[in-house]
Amino acid sequence: MLSLSAACAAASALGDSRVRMNPDDPAPPEPRQIEDARLMRRIAEGDREAFGALYDRFSRPLYATALRILNDASEAEDLLQDVFLALWEKAGDFEPGRGTAFSWAVTFTRNRAIDRIRMRRRRAELLDQSAPADIGYADDSGPDSADQAASSEQSSLVRSAMASLPPEQRAALELAFFSGLTQQEIAARLSEPLGTVKARIRRGLIRLRDLVAFRP
Amino acid sequence: MSTPTEQQEELATLYALRLLEGTELEQFEAELAHNPELRRLVEEFHASGALLAHMAPPAAPSAALKSRIMARIPEKRSAKVVPFRLTGWLPLAAAAGFALVAAWMAQLYFVTRTENSLLRDQQALADTMVRSLRSQLETERLLTVAEREASAGRIAALTRQMQEQGDLAQFKIATLASLLADSPQAQAVAVWNPTLQEGVLTVENLPALEADKDYQLWVIDPQYPIPVDGGVFRVDPRTGQARYQFKADKPVATVAKFAVSLERKGGVPKAEGPMVLIGP
Repeated sequence: MLSLSAACAAASALGDSRVRMNPDDPAPPEPRQIEDARLMRRIAEGDREAFGALYDRFSRPLYATALRILNDASEAEDLLQDVFLALWEKAGDFEPGRGTAFSWAVTFTRNRAIDRIRMRRRRAELLDQSAPADIGYADDSGPDSADQAASSEQSSLVRSAMASLPPEQRAALELAFFSGLTQQEIAARLSEPLGTVKARIRRGLIRLRDLVAFRP
Repeated sequence: MSTPTEQQEELATLYALRLLEGTELEQFEAELAHNPELRRLVEEFHASGALLAHMAPPAAPSAALKSRIMARIPEKRSAKVVPFRLTGWLPLAAAAGFALVAAWMAQLYFVTRTENSLLRDQQALADTMVRSLRSQLETERLLTVAEREASAGRIAALTRQMQEQGDLAQFKIATLASLLADSPQAQAVAVWNPTLQEGVLTVENLPALEADKDYQLWVIDPQYPIPVDGGVFRVDPRTGQARYQFKADKPVATVAKFAVSLERKGGVPKAEGPMVLIGP
């Protein structure tokens, strides 16, 4: 667990008053999260206008997540359509007490993207021997936006917090979140023992939680 | 409630990132079921893990996507979901419940005697139904075996027929196997005539399609970077069968494989949906 002084130092480095000073104190939800939860409730009641508003708030980060995982713009867009249609149907299942609407939607998007990438990997294995490429999922590179500044405040906060992590923890976390690989595959990719990789993921996620996450 | 151990924390992080598998996953979920502190920890890690989405390079979907999605949701939801607030109704519900229980108890004695008799009759009826269902299941099992054998026979006959009819040395004949977990018995035979640049696909046991979907055939020729479109087809919803005569949309020199994927209505230039059949 991150020490209090380390958390304070990191918070200070981030220069954001919303960073938690005491990791044991649940932070109150932000106005943005309250508004997200309100929109979800209206969507559950069939409010199309609220659905459009939630699309405007979530579509960019969800699409960016899907694109980073799938590395294919048209497939990421297809996935995003599935996600929002499912979100319309399942909005009534969302429980504000168990997390934010954003984390709910991200988890939903990531799970579906990983399902697709694992299915794609199975296909590639089948076609590996004779096909020149896979069944059409060409290895299109996504937009090269490394130089683009993070647009939202929360993105900046998360990026700053991630930048404060040791590079090996950051690499393990990003691979765990975006690659769709198993624990063993991540360890092989990083050429590290499995136990080391698990520990890095644990420490990295705990530090990220302590620095920026909101307790549900 | 106890503070989670370091090992529990590790499992919780892996669980939140969907990295647990097999027995490790089963054991952790069993522990999660009766450990509220651990559940709270997992929820925290879920929320923290979701923040990693912000590490993706910024990107935006096409402007048209929003209108496409909005066009697919109904103007009005059929079943309106209204949150039910228990606390406000509790006193009234308790009073009404007490009154109902009292009335119900008074009738219970008389009703129970009648019900006992009915239940005995129902038990006898249920026993008969169970025997009947067992017999029906066994019949269906035998029929399924027979159908599979018949399908294999039809495919073998078709292959023989094609072998007899033409210059087989030039033809590419491929058996396509199912990739569908819920329809493992789906299969197809593709016969390709390179001279005429056309072929025939015979399909068995593919699941029926939704109205907005089509099956799409792909011809994999190593000279092209992506598979060549062989057109779309549908199957008989009752039998899952289809016989589809096809042409590739580009000249095909060598057929390495055939594949069938599930796509949106009318087909796509590059496969997007899940692959359902592949062979040889």
